[in-house]
Amino acid sequence: MTGPLYRADPPTMRLAVEAEGLTLLYHRPSGMTHVLGPPAPELLTALAEGPADAAEIVRRLRQHHDLQDDAGIEAVVAARLDELEAAGLVSRA
Amino acid sequence: MNGPDQDRPEEEGPAPTRRHLLMLGAVSASAVVTIRPALANTLGSVLTCEIPVPDRSLSANYIASDGSLVPADTPGAFPPAPMPFKGEDVKAALRYGRTLPGTDYAQSRAYTNYIRRLQRGMSGFTCYASLQMPQR
Repeated sequence: MTGPLYRADPPTMRLAVEAEGLTLLYHRPSGMTHVLGPPAPELLTALAEGPADAAEIVRRLRQHHDLQDDAGIEAVVAARLDELEAAGLVSRA
Repeated sequence: MNGPDQDRPEEEGPAPTRRHLLMLGAVSASAVVTIRPALANTLGSVLTCEIPVPDRSLSANYIASDGSLVPADTPGAFPPAPMPFKGEDVKAALRYGRTLPGTDYAQSRAYTNYIRRLQRGMSGFTCYASLQMPQR
């Protein structure tokens, strides 16, 4: 069973600066600036490979990161994706 | 006074992998804060601003389900909306999944996908950007 597919604008649509563990991100299409904490930048990076549901995004994250071994991990990722969607950085494909 | 470990660059340590533990936090934790641009000062008319679908200059096109513009009469695509949508209706569709006025689910989804793709300079962009402000 697959959940909703999420997509993000390509990385060229963003300008990102890392500062003290946070990422300042300027989103060119909207002209808005966001302050992102982990794992939001990593989620956007994972979505650069193309649209994916939460389960697939967890798989992509595991390729580059160690993740908390937590049964609720997809729920957390989905919550972060919803937050990015509300900010206009992620949309449902 | 330097101990044996104090001035050793971190790079000298064993670095078998660049992987690091990614902290995901709790479901309720927040990872995104949006900085309100000057645009936020103009939000008095947000709910009554309008978004044409598509931009009038592009109204010879149909809107595919992913929101892209395709030639008229493309199977599965939808004709332009006869009237611009109000910001309030677009917000309800984007935030709460309601269908846009006068549309069914598939048509509304195509139109909202078009709206999500709006770029600076296109009709309705400022309205759409305004709708994304927190608390609006």
